[in-house]
Amino acid sequence: MRFAASAAAALLFAGTVASLQTSAQTLDDLKNDGKNPDNILTYGMGYHQQRYSALNQVNKGTVKRLVPVWNLSLDNNWGEQAQPIVYNGVMYVTNARATVAIDVATGKQIWKQTLDWPPETPRVVCCGVSNKGAAIYNGKVFRTTLDAHVVAYDAKTGKEIWKSKAAEWKEGFSLTVAPLVANGVLITGISGAEFGVRGFIDGWDPETGKQLWRHYTIPARGEKGNDTWPQNNNAWETGGGSAWITGSYDPELDLMYWGIGNPAPWASQSRPGDNLYTSSVLAMRPKTGEVVWYYQFTPNDAYDYDACWELILAELKVGGKPRKVAMQLNRNGFLYVLDRTNGELISAKAYGKVNWASHVDMKTGRPVETDIAKSIRDAKATEHWPSTRGAKNWEHAAFSPQTGLLYANTLHEGRMYKHLETKQFKVGERYMFIENLPLPRAAGDPVGHMEAIDPLTAEKKWRVPLTDFQNWSAMLATGGGLIFTGKETGEFIALDADTGKQLWQFQTGSGINAMPVTFTQGGRQYVTVLSGIGGLYWNIAREQLKDKVPQGGSVWTFALMQD
Amino acid sequence: MQHFAVALACALVSTLVCNEAAAQTPEQMKTGAEIYERNCSPCHGARMLDPQGASDLRKFPNDQRERFINSVTRGKNQMPPWGDLLKPEQIAALWAYVVNAEGIYGH
Repeated sequence: MRFAASAAAALLFAGTVASLQTSAQTLDDLKNDGKNPDNILTYGMGYHQQRYSALNQVNKGTVKRLVPVWNLSLDNNWGEQAQPIVYNGVMYVTNARATVAIDVATGKQIWKQTLDWPPETPRVVCCGVSNKGAAIYNGKVFRTTLDAHVVAYDAKTGKEIWKSKAAEWKEGFSLTVAPLVANGVLITGISGAEFGVRGFIDGWDPETGKQLWRHYTIPARGEKGNDTWPQNNNAWETGGGSAWITGSYDPELDLMYWGIGNPAPWASQSRPGDNLYTSSVLAMRPKTGEVVWYYQFTPNDAYDYDACWELILAELKVGGKPRKVAMQLNRNGFLYVLDRTNGELISAKAYGKVNWASHVDMKTGRPVETDIAKSIRDAKATEHWPSTRGAKNWEHAAFSPQTGLLYANTLHEGRMYKHLETKQFKVGERYMFIENLPLPRAAGDPVGHMEAIDPLTAEKKWRVPLTDFQNWSAMLATGGGLIFTGKETGEFIALDADTGKQLWQFQTGSGINAMPVTFTQGGRQYVTVLSGIGGLYWNIAREQLKDKVPQGGSVWTFALMQD
Repeated sequence: MQHFAVALACALVSTLVCNEAAAQTPEQMKTGAEIYERNCSPCHGARMLDPQGASDLRKFPNDQRERFINSVTRGKNQMPPWGDLLKPEQIAALWAYVVNAEGIYGH
């Protein structure tokens, strides 16, 4: 009898666990993301943001049989940049206008929640009316809005559970970042450095939307680091320092790594000093927002060398010893490898053409600026490499633990750059004061590359030049020896991770500037990417692309053709 | 005063037969240039030289003032409305700047 009772209790317990697992995502689920290939629960396909999956059903041999299994229109012309989240057979996708839940097996829309923001809002969005994706936790789907709110929906029904205002969009703030859930706290950054905001990172209670903490990326008077701003003007109050790409997270160290954006205005004459913590990485505690260490990539950034990009976490052998590292292909042209336990600089090698600095001093951790930098700081029109758009922009790299290499879509672009006289700050208006004109380009000069890069030497294992259009899509690396990425001309492609040779492509009908993912459902491997031209590159290259590439967002999902 | 007289004459006759560029004051052009540099150049390019994805304002027909004012005020295609931020006289100053670009920069 006692046995029966305990058996019944065990069954009840098992049932409870099972029902919890179907309705909720626990912190352990998030921590273990990547281990259960049916789900994709975090930005970057794991807190480490490696954008790597060990799945190998689709591999170099089988990829030729990769075919679309469904497509769903997102009815959106603003552009698709998001990374899908997948949980228990449901995919969650966002763009600036809507959040959509999709049945992975059939591609049918389960629910859709649209957003309305004032038509003036895009005025405070420098670089594309978009959204990078959702977060999922404890039965809720979280996202940010263009007009600077954070929203929680019921994952099953799409019903809005709470909506909190992070900031006033009319003051130049906007939100496109995918939220991070770490140690039970929902965390979001902010955009707006081009409008002279003072950036911040917020911690929210995922259950209620109550703000738990706010950490300004620029310290106030009296706080540590404010002495790196002028003391005779209020430049720190309008100093920028956005945080518009989701931080990575190391649950063992309980540290999250947020890249911090450029200072404002771009022209630097009104803000002498290092301008902490702009163009830096902050290692922070998710529970409190406390900063444990920082590293500044570009002190007194005069070039829009925003450091928001992904900080990819991995274990690398350095001098024969395994080190816990954070890696970033920084916009300033250097590939940084930091010890993520303490911020110590391990390596910083140029991975593209750089003329503003000769190298990074390994003792001080600071870039050594050249005469080019002096010329720019002296407000002379100067040929500048990499341009303000960087040697790489936001399009995320992948890291394969299988090969030990980073895979990235990089930019190869210099521009004629000039600081203008800075003028008075005006709330909600541009705060940049620069000219940035194109350089003549010889026919056949690459505009960017797809490349495989050694993290510690920045040497290229392979490099595929792009001579027509740059790629502004993230990379996905797989255990099948493949790299997936997309082109602005619409092709979704698979490359051989060992050689860069293109093995497969599919035309998706609009440009790709999003983040491919792969997962399984019923033992079958799927690959998904959003198509829909938009974002900064659409702003840049619309004249050349508009007659070739129509707008229009949709979700494409692929699998191997079955017999 | 001279500009005012030209503008008045234009208004009296027909804007179409007048040189629109002559109907602007240097003050307007200066104000327009400042607003342009801060708010418009990020998309339409420094000094209108590098429009990239936005419309090339050097090619905007200088007899379509009303269309310009409407587009800026209410927004057009990818461009958001500016009517709540810029006053009508500021948008008129922008027009003065755009329509005189050829005289200012030689393009």
